[in-house]
Amino acid sequence: MRRFLRTGAGLILTAIMLFPVYWMVNVSLTRDTDMRADPPHLFPVNGTLEGYRAVLDQQLPYLSTSLVVGLGTVLLTVALSAPAGFALAKLRPRGGGALSFILLMAQMIPGIIMAMGFYAIYLNAGVLNTVPGLILADSTIAVPFGVLIFTAFMSGIPDELLQAAVVDGANRWRTFVSVVLPVSRNAIVTVSLFAFLWAWSDFVFATTLDGGGDHRPITLGIYQYIGNNNQQWNAIMATAVVASIPATALLVIAQRYVAAGVTSGAVKD
Amino acid sequence: MTTVRRESRETAADAVSRGPSGRGPGRGGNRHRAEKPGASRRHRGQWSAWAFLAPVTVYLIAFYAWPLYRNIELSLREYTVRSFVQGGAPFAGLDNYREVIGHDTFWPAFGHTLLFTGVSIVFQFTIGMALAVFFVHHFPLSATLRALFLVPWLLPLIVSASTWSWMLNSESGIVNAALGLAGVDPVNWLTSPDYALWSVIIANIWIGIPFNLVVLYSGLQAIPAQIYEAAALDGVNGWQRFWRITFPLLRPVSAITLLLGLVYTLKVFDLIWIMTKGGPADASITLATWSYKLGFGNLLPEFGPGAAVGNLLIVIALIFGLIYIRIQRRQAAGS
Amino acid sequence: MKAYTAALLAITMAAGLTACGDNGGGDAASGSYTIWDPYPQFDDSSAWVTLLKKCGTDNGVTVERTGYDTTDLTNKALLAAQQGNSPDVLIVDNPVVSTLAEAGVLTDTGVTSLDTASIAPNILAAGQIEGKTFGVPIGANTLALYYNKAVLADAGVDPATITDWAGLTAALEKVKAKGRKGITFSAIGTEEGSFQFLPWYWGSGAQLTQLDSPQAVASLQLWADWVTKGLAPNSVLNNTQTTSWQEFATGDFAFGENGTWQLENAKKTGFEVGIIPIPSQAGGVAPAPTGGEFVSVPVQSDSARYDVSGKLVSCLTSNDNLLATDTTLSYIAPVAAVQQQQVAQNAALTVWVDAVNAAKGRTSDNLGTKYPKISEPLWTAFQASLSGSKPPQEALAAAQQTAASATK
Repeated sequence: MRRFLRTGAGLILTAIMLFPVYWMVNVSLTRDTDMRADPPHLFPVNGTLEGYRAVLDQQLPYLSTSLVVGLGTVLLTVALSAPAGFALAKLRPRGGGALSFILLMAQMIPGIIMAMGFYAIYLNAGVLNTVPGLILADSTIAVPFGVLIFTAFMSGIPDELLQAAVVDGANRWRTFVSVVLPVSRNAIVTVSLFAFLWAWSDFVFATTLDGGGDHRPITLGIYQYIGNNNQQWNAIMATAVVASIPATALLVIAQRYVAAGVTSGAVKD
Repeated sequence: MTTVRRESRETAADAVSRGPSGRGPGRGGNRHRAEKPGASRRHRGQWSAWAFLAPVTVYLIAFYAWPLYRNIELSLREYTVRSFVQGGAPFAGLDNYREVIGHDTFWPAFGHTLLFTGVSIVFQFTIGMALAVFFVHHFPLSATLRALFLVPWLLPLIVSASTWSWMLNSESGIVNAALGLAGVDPVNWLTSPDYALWSVIIANIWIGIPFNLVVLYSGLQAIPAQIYEAAALDGVNGWQRFWRITFPLLRPVSAITLLLGLVYTLKVFDLIWIMTKGGPADASITLATWSYKLGFGNLLPEFGPGAAVGNLLIVIALIFGLIYIRIQRRQAAGS
Repeated sequence: MKAYTAALLAITMAAGLTACGDNGGGDAASGSYTIWDPYPQFDDSSAWVTLLKKCGTDNGVTVERTGYDTTDLTNKALLAAQQGNSPDVLIVDNPVVSTLAEAGVLTDTGVTSLDTASIAPNILAAGQIEGKTFGVPIGANTLALYYNKAVLADAGVDPATITDWAGLTAALEKVKAKGRKGITFSAIGTEEGSFQFLPWYWGSGAQLTQLDSPQAVASLQLWADWVTKGLAPNSVLNNTQTTSWQEFATGDFAFGENGTWQLENAKKTGFEVGIIPIPSQAGGVAPAPTGGEFVSVPVQSDSARYDVSGKLVSCLTSNDNLLATDTTLSYIAPVAAVQQQQVAQNAALTVWVDAVNAAKGRTSDNLGTKYPKISEPLWTAFQASLSGSKPPQEALAAAQQTAASATK
């Protein structure tokens, strides 16, 4: 009984939290002329699917670009931050502390300044408006966080486990690959999830570094509807709704693993 | 190269790394391990450790150092659009900093930044914590509902910020319509100097809840069930259990969550920019928003002062980062 | 882990490979010319892009076109120029032209031997600094008052009689007495707000060089009074021109100040919409600011490219192409001959052609790059005044002080 009360409370809380999202869906179905109705329509009476029609006609390529960018960012972030986390947590080099402090502070550089710095580099390197270029830039949002989480997580792995591997004749790299990574599955999932979400919703890097060309992410697809003097709000909101469907699905699946946590689960001691 | 020296050199990484795993036994374990190996072994360890760190270090230098250098350079020269393109901007020393600190907007922006960051973090964290504690009990649909809580995060900021400004619109917003039903006069949420800052704070809290929920929830998962079982035997009630067991054990995770929250909140500009443009009349401007406005919000960019404000923000974050390390160390020493 | 390393390698290699490819400006021998425009809403299949490609083929080159969001384009152009990698042809919003020219990013029409003789002088002025012209307008738009015929008829107001501020305010009061809403506009704290305020500002006889003149105060007093009396909603403070249009489109408002580009949307509102020019204080049509873009040729290290770039600009701004482009963009052509063709095609454009001919560039009067430094204090002032933090006189006095010290 208590459990069902909790479900009820959970439903109410979720409803409150997601009300703005509902409002977005509502707007996506509203005709232009009803957008500023006073009082506002709680439900899309006289709704229109115009916004969705526009999205399905025009936005699908952007979605797939976003997916590729998101997955690329995940791979790059994990590849960079997992070894670093291992080194900081278990090998504890001198200067490691300073390094992770710098990593933390590096995130303070305003995104737009980062983007401007990247822009000059990218323009000369010719990677402007390319998918790899955007992946590289998006990963800067997630790598410092990834290092932090991996460090925190891997320092919880018992040393005995690592020593056992060394006794078996494994070098540090082999230990990392065959012992540390497998037990860090949950940390990998958590970092991947965050990296994916940040890349998926990134706008500043996308607009600065990938603002033109054929491979634009979904956050810029929205900009199709923000013209020079005019904005098609139902299409904008419809894009957002469509864009959040695959990401939500992914989230619900990944949640099972994140549930086991940033910090726990790998080693049952 | 002795262990004594190592201990004294312990800094952020160690503090941070110990963070979430800092349940009693793990922490002690780490210390002991550090003392065991011989000198040559440590030496070899240094090399391989840096081999693991090399990719991230190279990456850090390549992708953060350059923008940071650019930003500092921008702030120390007197740039016009012409010298920005053609080069040859004269060195101006700290003139840009003097200019922005002496500007009418500086102190309001500074105060708003503290208020915005402080209030946002307190509420994001408290609500995130409450939700995490709520969701840690399994009940039907709990996993799904928890996942749904993350949906706000998936929305591009331009969409969530626009939705909020929609809902808070003075004339046709749903919030005022609801207040009207309750018999309250409409509030000019975004257009009154008294409410604009609070409106953006509310929207920012909403956006920040998922992050806090996920990280704190993961931290809660790490607390072994045995501890609660033991406490239950001692007849501890729910409220006491939270304050005596959960909260202290969650302290390291909380510290990281707060620090990251601080770093992320200090630099929020897009939300405010979309909702109020920092207005009306600077009523909701923060340092990050002001920096953006100076550099990009006008037809004629003022790169120098814009960069100077950005750098001041970095300094503020640095100060908080150092305070964090200070506290961490004292706690490590105390425990 | 192997997989990750492989992926990392693949990404770095991909980045390396593309680095060897063609970038930005390219060289004359490649026969490829880059064009940047602020019309991201047009994709490769649109008439606009087809026109760009055709202009390229006609001149024996291929065109690489990229559409950017208009607010980003200024900074992109500045950064690209800084890196010596400007596009060959750049299409930018007219008040930006003087900034880019000041930065030395753009060539003047003497270098590219472009002919601007047929262009209306008041539209061309936004791109002229000290006797030199830095681009060719591709079209113009401006502001006027849209009105809801039914609401006015209901309140017994004849729109033809509204020729000055007093008449307009009286009409708004009649509308309000009938329980409807008066007027909506955009007073947001950005350039967009200044754009909307200028017809009233100029309509009082005020000059941008003296923000606290009695005329200027009168114009801000007009807006402030409308908001305090409830003739205009409080939401104008946060309205963009789009949200302002949406308010008008609800059918509750009598008037909406908006631009040429809403003409198509006016047909979709479901009620009858008329248009009058914005009145000045003393009577007659107030000068409204011109909107619209200029086609320009950025400076290149290889001056041999200017020849073809100039031809591309001529092609885009030739009379036939102007007619097609301006119809798509819902703009008024900057050339009298083409304006006549537009009116012949669509009589509803007559009001707009008149309005554009009476309009004035924001950076005109040789203000150039001083304009942005005046516009920002101006929008700060009307935001302060409309939100009730400062009375008009005080707000404008402060604005004048800021503007004077920024432009001296």
